[in-house]
Amino acid sequence: MARIRLSLLAIQLSFLAAGALAGADRAAAQGAMLPYPPYGSNIPIVVDTERQSGAYYQDQQPEPRPGPWDQESIWNMRVEGYTDNQARPIYQPLIINQNGREILYAGNLAGSALNPLTNVVESNGTSIIDVTDVKRPKFLSHIPGPAPINGSFSAAGAQMVRVCGGSTLPNAATNGTVGRYYLLRAFGNAGPNESHQIWDVTDPASPKFVLTVLSGLSNTHKSWWECDTGIAYLVAGSKSDGWQQSGSTQHLYIYDLSNPYKPVFIRQFGLVGQQPSANVATAQPCATAPSANCYEGTTNPPAGIHGPISMGTQVDRVYMPYGVGAQGVVQIDDRIKLLNGCNTSGPGGNPNASASCANNPTQGDLLWPQISWITMNPENGAHSSMPVFNVPVPEEQSNFVNGQPQSKSLLFISSEGTANNCFGQAPHDAWVLDITSETTPWPMETMSVSQYPGDFCGKGARFGAHAVTEAIYAPYYGKIISVSWFNAGVRVWDIRDPKNVKPIAYYIQAPTANTAASCSTINGATNCYNATMNDYVEYDDRGYIYAADRAGTGVTILSLTGEAHRAVYGTEE
Amino acid sequence: MTLSKRLSMTCVAAVLAATLAYADSPSQATDAKAYDAHKLAAVTVGLSTKAQVRTLLGTPWRILQFNDCGKAMPGQADETWEYRGKDANGTYRFHVEFDDNGVAHLVARIPDKVAGGAGTVAKASAMVMAHNHPM
Repeated sequence: MARIRLSLLAIQLSFLAAGALAGADRAAAQGAMLPYPPYGSNIPIVVDTERQSGAYYQDQQPEPRPGPWDQESIWNMRVEGYTDNQARPIYQPLIINQNGREILYAGNLAGSALNPLTNVVESNGTSIIDVTDVKRPKFLSHIPGPAPINGSFSAAGAQMVRVCGGSTLPNAATNGTVGRYYLLRAFGNAGPNESHQIWDVTDPASPKFVLTVLSGLSNTHKSWWECDTGIAYLVAGSKSDGWQQSGSTQHLYIYDLSNPYKPVFIRQFGLVGQQPSANVATAQPCATAPSANCYEGTTNPPAGIHGPISMGTQVDRVYMPYGVGAQGVVQIDDRIKLLNGCNTSGPGGNPNASASCANNPTQGDLLWPQISWITMNPENGAHSSMPVFNVPVPEEQSNFVNGQPQSKSLLFISSEGTANNCFGQAPHDAWVLDITSETTPWPMETMSVSQYPGDFCGKGARFGAHAVTEAIYAPYYGKIISVSWFNAGVRVWDIRDPKNVKPIAYYIQAPTANTAASCSTINGATNCYNATMNDYVEYDDRGYIYAADRAGTGVTILSLTGEAHRAVYGTEE
Repeated sequence: MTLSKRLSMTCVAAVLAATLAYADSPSQATDAKAYDAHKLAAVTVGLSTKAQVRTLLGTPWRILQFNDCGKAMPGQADETWEYRGKDANGTYRFHVEFDDNGVAHLVARIPDKVAGGAGTVAKASAMVMAHNHPM
């Protein structure tokens, strides 16, 4: 009995600690950017709140059947607010606390729509929306994207966004960035002259162009910007840079953007086999025929990177998913060796770095920072990755291995479903990799959504995983993880018992008159369906959850209720 | 929390969500136009170009494409134009998908009737084929 009482006391204390963390984040919400990646390098500490029976103790209700395909379905979540985003289709939402104002930046897919603020039809770019009052979002401005080329928007859009506070960037006083905010965005997604741009968004209602970091690109994608160091990992590719990728033709261009007015190029980087000097015609798989001319993964040349995630200076690791929806490879890199590996001395320097390392690296230059890589089943790709460190294993807190409490470091990986109505594709799921031993990452769990009973392959649009939430909100860290699942909506898993993750909440948005139809031709029959597609789900620093719709149905702002709330805070509200 | 309380909260949330969705969607029925049925019918799969569609119907209410890596996903269009129309049956979107050459390859007329979960079956035009939702 005494032991049980002690356990209960520990649980209560743990929830108090979680509450304190929430309080800290709320305090931060009053003006400062959170200290976690990409804004800082701190990593939240995950406190064990579970009994030793772990997931088996958790007395949760089974996942309810979704409602009819034309209605909203919601489980352990509540709708707090909504913005229609001028009916523009969204790729990525990002919520930034700017001096106490919560600003939603939405990177939009290509196209055009009327901006009622200017009364002009504008090419889809970056929407900037004040969500301080989530019940009354206010559309502040829209920075247009690229104009159509020869009447086509196929290369347009500005789907990726990152924002840093100028006061957080290094040498802020010297560089004149104190008190300012900077938006880093992709300008175009594929075409003859795409780029990455910086805008001054100190006044989010009146953004001002700063400069183009990198232009002449044929591809852009999801970048990462460490605000406390200024290091930016730009996903890009050009026909002239010589790099070689299958599928999405993009790799990394790494810059020091600590002074947004003076970008400093560091190096290009990719998977072994993508370097310009690789002989694709003769290369063999590194796994079975390692040599000076081999490629990592299952396709030659390896598939392009989707978007890296750096965990900053404390962890000093960069997680790189390649392949998007097929031929996936997940790579873990040493951040210092990645950034300094083209230097022959200094921290992380490579004494054997080639003279052409920065732009035309040798295989050895690419291997220098690589800690490990794991090849996925080729029918799935690595679209996104998000690490969560040191999650206690409730069942292994005592009398196990060495008597010490055990924990696992996790890397959540998602593939991307790309076919309407699931036609012609294997299911695209998400997975938990055990990276406790980072040289030997290994799959531990599959996070899947069944197509039934929701009949998600029949309701139209895409069904399958897309992206893992990248924002760190301390109370959620190590407790829940969210993955966007296209027409199956926002999916939330309880990860308190990392070896037994369980679905705990979902939200499927109902289609509205703004929902663009998804059409598909299957076996000669063409049909169109009104179905929402949750493209990304992100958190703000108050714990609100933002579900952005790829089909033009706007952004829904959610909170946790019921058992999902209990999983995080210990109470149902 | 009891099951009945949980259910009632879920219902309240659903109603709230529907209300919010329509409160913040200003550009729907108000900008629908009464398009000439003959002009809509003149948009021809495999023939009509973007310029011809624009001449027939004017500036689209919205243009979009779902791709994010530069290439159309399997079975998905390069670019979709939508016109917001209205007739005796209510509001609808006239949906035209173009191929890489800028020629219409799919045309559909899709009713807007989705408020309150009253249904959102997307009926393709006769030029494509009738909608056959499996649910």
